[in-house]
Amino acid sequence: MIASLLAAAGDWVAPTLDYHALAPEIILAAGIFAVLSIDLFLEPEQRWITSALSGFVMLGALVTVGTLAVIGDDTRSMFGGRYVSDEYALILKALFLVAGYIVVLMSSDEIERGRYHQGEYYVLLLTSVLGMVMMASSRDLLSIFVALELLSIPAYMLAAWNKRNSRGNEAGVKYYLLGVFASAITLYGMSLLYGVTGTTLLTDLGSAITANGRFSGVEVIAVAFIVVGFAFKISAVPFHQWAPDVYEGAPTPITAFLSVASKAAGFVALVTLTFVAFPNAEDVYQPFMWVLAALSMTIGNLYALRQTNIVRMLAYSSVSQGGFILMPLTVAGVDGVGESALKAVVVYLVVYAATNLGAFAVVIAVARKTRSGEISSYGGLFGYAPALGVLMTIFLASLAGIPPLGGWFAKFGAFKAVLDADTGWGYSIAIIAAINTVISAAYYITVMREIWMKDEPTGDTTPIRTPPSLGAALVITCGATIVLGVLPDIVGRFGDITDLTGALGR
Amino acid sequence: MSQFLRDYLTVVWFGAIALVLGGLLLGVAALLRPNKPTAQKLIAYESGVDPVGDGWSQSQVRYYIFALLFVIFDIEAVFIFPWATQVERYGAFGLVVMLIFLILLLDGLAYAWKKGVLRWV
Repeated sequence: MIASLLAAAGDWVAPTLDYHALAPEIILAAGIFAVLSIDLFLEPEQRWITSALSGFVMLGALVTVGTLAVIGDDTRSMFGGRYVSDEYALILKALFLVAGYIVVLMSSDEIERGRYHQGEYYVLLLTSVLGMVMMASSRDLLSIFVALELLSIPAYMLAAWNKRNSRGNEAGVKYYLLGVFASAITLYGMSLLYGVTGTTLLTDLGSAITANGRFSGVEVIAVAFIVVGFAFKISAVPFHQWAPDVYEGAPTPITAFLSVASKAAGFVALVTLTFVAFPNAEDVYQPFMWVLAALSMTIGNLYALRQTNIVRMLAYSSVSQGGFILMPLTVAGVDGVGESALKAVVVYLVVYAATNLGAFAVVIAVARKTRSGEISSYGGLFGYAPALGVLMTIFLASLAGIPPLGGWFAKFGAFKAVLDADTGWGYSIAIIAAINTVISAAYYITVMREIWMKDEPTGDTTPIRTPPSLGAALVITCGATIVLGVLPDIVGRFGDITDLTGALGR
Repeated sequence: MSQFLRDYLTVVWFGAIALVLGGLLLGVAALLRPNKPTAQKLIAYESGVDPVGDGWSQSQVRYYIFALLFVIFDIEAVFIFPWATQVERYGAFGLVVMLIFLILLLDGLAYAWKKGVLRWV
């Protein structure tokens, strides 16, 4: 077998690299190298340089994503279609880089105060973002898996950053063990898929699976395993148990990073696989996604109602929001709906990222004074920190889907996609989602009531001093949340460039 | 069944025969041999000398960092040996790619060195 493979290999030709298309990845990789090396020669009080440098690396990569979007071809394909830089990839790369930049802004003060391995922290953060940026471009089972590991392994270490704290240890061990378990399941599914079809290229997989008309048993198992593996990554019920414990034990900026960027990366892989590799497998993934979406929304919401800790509440809320993001995928295979389902997912990811990062930024700012994560500690926030109170209200209202904020438009797109499908699956999931939207408002409003109506529980009403970098993060996220809701035209333009059905080569 | 899966049937056969053969030899031996255990015979075999200490022993925790550093060179070898056999075909492109890989690995070693990992304390 090996001899025949070698004979088939023939003359080796160096692949042509499109350096412009690879520029974001190259800048990130060079940045990782630079931060790691420079950190070795810094005095402890100069360590803030690593934070500033990481921010500039993210912005530099973002600039090249911008030039890629403006200059030249829309779609740049390398390695025989295994690594593609198209509009879909560019939007998501921009999302990951902006999210990474906001996390750096949120971290700089938190991590500096701890004086604990600042350089390594930013190196790991940059590495994880590099994995996510690669994930957006990957169109091959192997590059998807490499990207998945590149983004996950630094995240395991970051989750365990509070290592002197038993909760931090619990977070690290739980996230690592379950993450590795999920990777193994995904990899098993991929190996079965390769065994059956003999290819790892997603577009070839798409045509190989449909070639004989119907699914074989092995293919069904392979698709199911791959979906289950990524369901862990996006913490969809019933694969969500790690999320609240990890979110509570990790440093808060990392919690924001995991609940937004890491989750979005899982969705990106799931979406790419759904649309490119399993285009005609809707009979397999549709019921699967339906069950995952319905369970995630409902169970996430019911647990969120009972939480007294704001980080755990946001963790369950993010499980439930994950259900809403999955919702359009349940109808992705219906003729004529695929495109709007895809737009709905991407728009929801962008809006959710802005809103959730903002909510965590407020949590960090408030915890600087109260040193507590209890929801009751938000009592009277509007009285002594009016700006933070208003911002938290905006973010929570957006998460609940109240117009005219971004969350409303995201939910609108998701509902529109499933209703356009005009199938039983679509209508039933829309009804469940509508009920859950009402339930979710309850726990978001509980926090708002603390902020606006209660009194500060300890009577300490000294104002909160927000460091400038955290303030910048709040301004960016709040601006994005409002602009995406008030001017849905911008989202509409987003939608146009995410014309994935063309971009993914179907 | 596809040709690919049929190729794997060899592995299944190999495993099955190994199990049957091993079980058969041990089973026949168990039936034929006399069974007279003594205290001397039941001692764990350690190259002929009497075993000393417990079966579970601790090793220095510092070794694990050296083990991790060893992995750097191990992975380097895994990639370099196959690459070296084909280096002429890959030409300048392959040379540059491998150099980038080595520089990144060396950065890791330099980091460990500067952090004092190589010093035995």
